[in-house]
Amino acid sequence: MKRLLVTAMIVLVSCKPPTPAEQMDAILSWVGSAVMLGSGWLRHTTPDSYTTQTLSLSRDHLLQIGAELLKSPPATIDSAGLDSTLTRSRSHIARMAQLVEARNSPAFRQVLDSLQLDQKALKQIADKVEASQ
Amino acid sequence: MKKILQLSLGIVTAVGGFLEIGSVTTAAQAGAQFGYKLLWPVLLGTLCLIFLVEMSGRLATVTRHTVVDAIRERFGFPFFFFVLLGTVLVAFMVLVAELGGIGFALEILTGIRFPWWAFPVSFVVWLLMWKGTFGLIENGASLLGLLTVSFVVAALRLHPNWTSTASGLLPTIPDSDKTRYWFLVVSILGASISPYLMFFYSSGAIEDKWDRSYLPINRFIAALGMTFGGFLSMAVLVVAALALKPNGIQVETFQQAALLMTTALPKWGFYLFALSMFFACFGAALEISLTIAYFFSQGFGWNWSEDLKPSSNSRFAFVYTLIIGLAAVPLIFGVDPIKVTVMSMALTSATLPLAIVPFLFLMNDPIYLGKDRNGWISNTVVGVVILISFVLALVSIPLEIMGG
Repeated sequence: MKRLLVTAMIVLVSCKPPTPAEQMDAILSWVGSAVMLGSGWLRHTTPDSYTTQTLSLSRDHLLQIGAELLKSPPATIDSAGLDSTLTRSRSHIARMAQLVEARNSPAFRQVLDSLQLDQKALKQIADKVEASQ
Repeated sequence: MKKILQLSLGIVTAVGGFLEIGSVTTAAQAGAQFGYKLLWPVLLGTLCLIFLVEMSGRLATVTRHTVVDAIRERFGFPFFFFVLLGTVLVAFMVLVAELGGIGFALEILTGIRFPWWAFPVSFVVWLLMWKGTFGLIENGASLLGLLTVSFVVAALRLHPNWTSTASGLLPTIPDSDKTRYWFLVVSILGASISPYLMFFYSSGAIEDKWDRSYLPINRFIAALGMTFGGFLSMAVLVVAALALKPNGIQVETFQQAALLMTTALPKWGFYLFALSMFFACFGAALEISLTIAYFFSQGFGWNWSEDLKPSSNSRFAFVYTLIIGLAAVPLIFGVDPIKVTVMSMALTSATLPLAIVPFLFLMNDPIYLGKDRNGWISNTVVGVVILISFVLALVSIPLEIMGG
């Protein structure tokens, strides 16, 4: 019982709205989904309709979470840099959805490579945010 | 021979009834975010469910009462009505989630959004209830639900680290994301210890005309079937830990969950996931609809049996018709089944004492069960797990809501 109460207190102390680190995790989650989806589509493991729908979903979520995060960005990061990386990622994802419809695998692979570079850049930003907390 | 056949069918029922949208979603979220660390609540929930299912089968075979019958008879109608309200409300939310799960499976297969599937899916579920027999629902849907074994194949193909897997079976306190961690513990427990399965199982034992000679078989079905079901849930968690976590993917939507098996089974993984979810959710939707109809009919003393024609138990048929119709409404308006799933699993944990505590009293009543009443081991295991689940639910649900 004592242990349960201690646990309850730990949980109570941690009560707070999403932190910038959690928002960065959500951003990485959606970019990661788009990358995994893209790799899957190139290997013919996911159907076109599901791929385009989920890519659109990723883009929408990135737009929403990014906008919330950039309203009050953490002081330790370059918010202009984050904004431009997010914008670029969204545009790559939108392009990937178009290329699925066009069934253009070579061009899709190139855009996917670019998105993976954005993913690495976002991961570095997320690590900085995590370290600053 | 008949009993041996029923044994195998019973095991299939347990497997089919265990893995559905709740356990898949919560296990996938847990694995994707915390790796193997949340295997222990699956183990704890499975252990508790083994005891609960065995007890509900024992009650039915020894007393010829379903759990609902016995609660109403032992505690009186006013108390029973309170249990009915809480249990049916949560079961209704789970039904919405299961119908949504079928719709989502169809959405990722066809590209047609899930709200469009809400009505056709509900109609097919209702039609099977209207035309089908208990045997068809129990065995047909559950046999198809065996497709979920593909999660085990996927887990093995990803070569999990067995030492880390084993260490995940022991409870740990996380360094970060504590609210999320405990909320997932509660959700996993809620997804595993589904009271509807207990009510369904005891009604099923009466439908299948079990007598005292089925007591050993009941014990075997509960242990083997639920262990296998828990094993499937663990497989989902392991696959998520190995396939989604390295990509930083947290499962917020069904579309993300659909990526689960594409790494382990590149050729068929996507389709196996969609079909597994389709059949598992379909089976669960049938079981929950039946359970709600059983609950009302047994509680109010109406005729009830899925083997009777609807004209012979019209109020029983009316309840499932109404419930299935109502469950389709939020989905038609686009309510996200994943959000309903996560919240309904946590609420299941919060309301567990409502159904389980009176049931434990019954199982210890010598007037009902005589020498077949509970021993201290089953009382302790179920009591402790329900207490942990309830306390954690009370703390973590408000925090999760406040934290968005």
